[in-house]
Amino acid sequence: MKKIILTLVLGLTLASANINVDTTYSTLGAIVKKIGAEHVNVTVLGSSKYDPHFIVPKPSLLAKLRRADLLIINGGGLELGWLPPLLRGAHNSNIQNGAKGFLDISHSIAMINVPASVSRAFGDVHASGNPHYITDPHQVPIIAEVIYKKIKLLDSSNANSYETNYQSFMQEWKEYLTEFDAKMQVCKTKKVVQYHLLFNYFLNRYSIKSYGNIEPLPGVSPSSKHTIELIRMMQNEDIKVILQDVYHEKKSASFIADKTGARVATLPHDVGSLKGSDTLESFYNTIAEQICR
Amino acid sequence: MKKIIPLSMLCALSLMADATLDSIQKELETQKQKTATLESQMQALSRANTKQSASFSQNAYLPDIAFILDMSAVARDVNNTTYSNYAIPGFIDAPDTPELIFNPNRGFNLNYAELALHSSVDPYFDAFLVLHLQSNVFEIEEAYVITTSLPMGLRIKAGKFRSDFGRLNKKHHHSWHFDSQALIHEALFGPDALKDPGVQLQWVAPTDTYLMLGAEAMQGTNEASFGASESNNLYIGYLKSSIDVSEDISLLGGMSIIHGENFVNNTLNPTDLYGIDFTLREQLGAYSSLLWQNEFIQREKNLGTRVDKQAGFYSELIYTYNNNYATGLRYDAITQNDTDLSAYSGVNTDNLDRFTAMLEYKPFEMSRLRLSYTYDRSKIISGERKNINEVMLSLNISAGAHSAHDF
Ligand SMILES: [Zn+2]
Repeated sequence: MKKIILTLVLGLTLASANINVDTTYSTLGAIVKKIGAEHVNVTVLGSSKYDPHFIVPKPSLLAKLRRADLLIINGGGLELGWLPPLLRGAHNSNIQNGAKGFLDISHSIAMINVPASVSRAFGDVHASGNPHYITDPHQVPIIAEVIYKKIKLLDSSNANSYETNYQSFMQEWKEYLTEFDAKMQVCKTKKVVQYHLLFNYFLNRYSIKSYGNIEPLPGVSPSSKHTIELIRMMQNEDIKVILQDVYHEKKSASFIADKTGARVATLPHDVGSLKGSDTLESFYNTIAEQICR
Repeated sequence: MKKIIPLSMLCALSLMADATLDSIQKELETQKQKTATLESQMQALSRANTKQSASFSQNAYLPDIAFILDMSAVARDVNNTTYSNYAIPGFIDAPDTPELIFNPNRGFNLNYAELALHSSVDPYFDAFLVLHLQSNVFEIEEAYVITTSLPMGLRIKAGKFRSDFGRLNKKHHHSWHFDSQALIHEALFGPDALKDPGVQLQWVAPTDTYLMLGAEAMQGTNEASFGASESNNLYIGYLKSSIDVSEDISLLGGMSIIHGENFVNNTLNPTDLYGIDFTLREQLGAYSSLLWQNEFIQREKNLGTRVDKQAGFYSELIYTYNNNYATGLRYDAITQNDTDLSAYSGVNTDNLDRFTAMLEYKPFEMSRLRLSYTYDRSKIISGERKNINEVMLSLNISAGAHSAHDF
């Protein structure tokens, strides 16, 4: 009898204990919330205001990593510049690379822009392909699936709840995408330039061609020579939209806009980067509206 | 994808007037074709990128390798020979001045080449090796393993490593904000800093606020403050904590203590050090920040017949304007020097301090040019107090594996 009560009590406390999930970026966090709902505590490590390549490694992040049961990273090298020392300093064996509580989403994504050759002479190239897949709403179901499987594995006591949440989110997202794709089919913008290759997944999805970047090489500040070439190219190709993110300097884009008559579209690169992009839906809607407006 | 396109076509079409139907249908057809070509191109590309591996190749297991070069051009109003015998009264006495590692000469210096390797050993250990190379010096600066799978927030480091005492000691020269070592660190630990063979145990508390406790046992070979070498005799403990005042303002503080033994006049006597450090950092924008870093260290060196009490601090303010430019100021001072200064009779040994200003330009994140001016009032040159002016242009590059950024 005592044993039964003990198991019951233990079972109950286990069932009610939430799992702590840390994600490196906010869009991943928003997807985790959809699936985990009330059973997970989600902590987003990197601020969506700033450059995802250079998140400030605040020591407070160590405390957040220390108590995580699951760490979900974007991968593809995006966290290379800030996460490894934090992960070493947090002393949490559950979330080390290779442990059960570590999930690299990029391993489930068909990466694009994989460079044929890699050298820093070409700037800070993403050696394993473009890691900014999060800007494409069609990646959300793929991401949700791996997250769902991982969370279910870590916390089987709430498996039913996760499955229900996952299924309803998939249905919800399918409907959202149908509507979203319809809107994108009538998008007039077909040619753009961007600051960094942040939006390639989105642009490829909707057959919008990116003709070049404001940064001459990845991670290198704009030069006047490169900017002049870009302006000339934009005039020749009749490109009227410049995609600007929230964290790079804005002077280059407005200078180029002045010279070419193009419009600067400021886009969120992650959920919450811009006002009014705080949910998954509004995040992708803002990208679409800004590009197609 | 295939299902979605016709569906979305339907949706879009139903909204349109019949008159425009044909043109839209055409547009959609071309869009579909474009998408198809793009997709097949993508697939072909990703196939081309799947490299075939040689059957017994182990290249995928190569460690991360970085090499760092540091060089400078220096103008200084003291000639090289006299400068190499400088004294900091009470701490470094001429002619026992340790060999200078960084920027010893007027004119050109190749300070060092550093080779840093890192690799996972197995699921339980990560290994690090840092080789410090100078024209005729080969030194294992650090060689250690850390555990990755201990429970309860514990981690052990073993090997030769830089102590985590205070704030600056652990950091390598290339990640300092100034080209010269902080004065109190140079005075107490010498240019080699506090590094020794030993073990370290650190614990991170499972709390909302970052709290870390650490303990180290080291050999104690550092001559400047310790130097008893018959057995391991250096014990270090520290506590570090950090809070975020707001999303963009963080404070980091630490308290450290060292107990070791010195071997002056062939007798063993205790040396104790106490350190406090405080850092404030405000993020002003994606690439812009303000950093204020301070460290104070006191030493009590028992010499049998007397106990010397000496202390000093540095305070540095760094303003990073964007990813290309940064500027900073540092003030160093010895604040307490209760020791036998009779060897310096007739020489003013009060108010030993130093000012440094720097301007940094980084064309890219892996290379850095730094122009600095130093007004040094901490040294005795050829038996005279001499205030030294120094202008330096240094170049530091770090190639290969990317080392993550410091806080
Ligand atoms: Zn990138």
